[in-house]
Amino acid sequence: MLQILLLGSALAGLLAFLAGIFENEDSDAGSASNPNSQVQLAPQIEHLHRYYNKAIAGEPPQNALWAALAATVAYLLSARLGMDPIPGVILGSVLGALTASLLQGMYGSLAHISRIASMKNFKQMLYWDSLLSPLPLSMTYTFLSALCLTLLSFVIHGLLGSPFPVPLIAMFLGFTLGAIASSTGDVHYGAERLYQHYKFGSGIAISKQGDIDVKGEYGYRNSVDTPYFTLRFGGPVTGLTFGLLIFIDALSRISGGVWTSVILEFSIIALILIFIVFLEKYTRDKYGPFEEGK
Amino acid sequence: MDPITLMLFIIAGGVLVGVCVHFIPASAVGAMSASTGIATGPSMLSFGAGLSGILSASFALETGPVAMLASGAAGSTLMVVLTILGGNLVNAFGTGVPPVSGQTASGQSVLGSSTKDAITGWEQKPFVTPGTDGHGMPVQTAISGAIGGIIGGLGGAMVFFGVHYLFVPITQETAAISGMIAAGIFLINCVLPAYTLVGKTEGMFDRKMLRIPKTFFSCLIVSTFLAVIIYSVSTYASMGAV
Repeated sequence: MLQILLLGSALAGLLAFLAGIFENEDSDAGSASNPNSQVQLAPQIEHLHRYYNKAIAGEPPQNALWAALAATVAYLLSARLGMDPIPGVILGSVLGALTASLLQGMYGSLAHISRIASMKNFKQMLYWDSLLSPLPLSMTYTFLSALCLTLLSFVIHGLLGSPFPVPLIAMFLGFTLGAIASSTGDVHYGAERLYQHYKFGSGIAISKQGDIDVKGEYGYRNSVDTPYFTLRFGGPVTGLTFGLLIFIDALSRISGGVWTSVILEFSIIALILIFIVFLEKYTRDKYGPFEEGK
Repeated sequence: MDPITLMLFIIAGGVLVGVCVHFIPASAVGAMSASTGIATGPSMLSFGAGLSGILSASFALETGPVAMLASGAAGSTLMVVLTILGGNLVNAFGTGVPPVSGQTASGQSVLGSSTKDAITGWEQKPFVTPGTDGHGMPVQTAISGAIGGIIGGLGGAMVFFGVHYLFVPITQETAAISGMIAAGIFLINCVLPAYTLVGKTEGMFDRKMLRIPKTFFSCLIVSTFLAVIIYSVSTYASMGAV
């Protein structure tokens, strides 16, 4: 029993880490979530761009939809295919994630076309290459994140023993991951990648918003370049946050006692809060105050 | 347990969920490091935290209400605190800004004209990027977020507990149905404070905390309505009418 729980926790942590990275890159490749406001604002201040601009819904409900759809298909197929449990679950999850990524591609391309078309008054063109080159990339990230979340739901249901059914766990996890990715990894895209022509080390003043970087290292920047940048930091931090959440939550339950788990979790929360204090002290000392007039 | 008590659990849980949104610092403009708070909408973030709380609580379903509520609170708080950590890491090393509270720096928080962090006593004003309303989550908002996580997790677990034991007599798949309904009630109560918070809050030191009575009453009315519906469905179903 202990071995199963240990295996389940390790597997869950790993899958959650990967799902976090892929989900964040999916949102960055499509300019989804909060930084989407900047990409929409750009044509209004004469910054014509070639970003892929899909924002199907808020990131949490959108990701919950992909995860729940993939898990539902996987759950049905794994029950109906008549294969052994493990190959059945893996094959079902792949097909489920494929369904979710196809739906994402359809929604994404329609969202992009309609959003860009609504900017016609500001002379924003609908460039086909800005849709067709990032579309497969964004769909691939959706496929990977939906696959990881579906497998993770099976692990939490089967190995860790949650009483919830697999699709419901996938919806819960999809929502939580969407909330985490939209609040950690997206900052790296919204505050740094979109504004790389500004000096490193400051937030984006309200008056500068919309003044995004439309030119890349070579020619016009498109959304294929974005994950190339955000995968180096924003994605791994999102993965770390979600992976730690799932791993700590699963690991704290290994002893079997509910109260042990609660006490362990609250002690880890206290440690994290202490770390947050030191992190703030470190950044204040390192960067120092802003100088007047700059 | 007595069905009326279970119904009261749902109502109290719903109200706690509404109150928790005021404590969790969140702001959509935070994604451009232009405002203090976790970089997403307060409602969606609280809902994400609540769901991880309900998922944690589901593991303690058979161990009684107190252990279940504690488990839910721990799950939610862990999610909020880890998200604050992740957000601060990206702000610190991705954007290169220290966490700082914009409202405290401008002397408009509930602390009055003080421009220092209420817990560490660190001066906030010189660290705010000119033209922004702060960035990241300084210690006072992180603590506020942790308190919000505890309140939200307790609320979510209370709703889940109430719905679960109201539905036990009428169905086999109680955990799944009650999890889904608890998530729905959580979502409704998370979205209601959006009207009082208007997109952003810095947690318990934000002046918007003074609007808590409005949230309290709106969540009380909605939760009572929902609890009565769930109670009626369970009562009529156990009588064989549905």
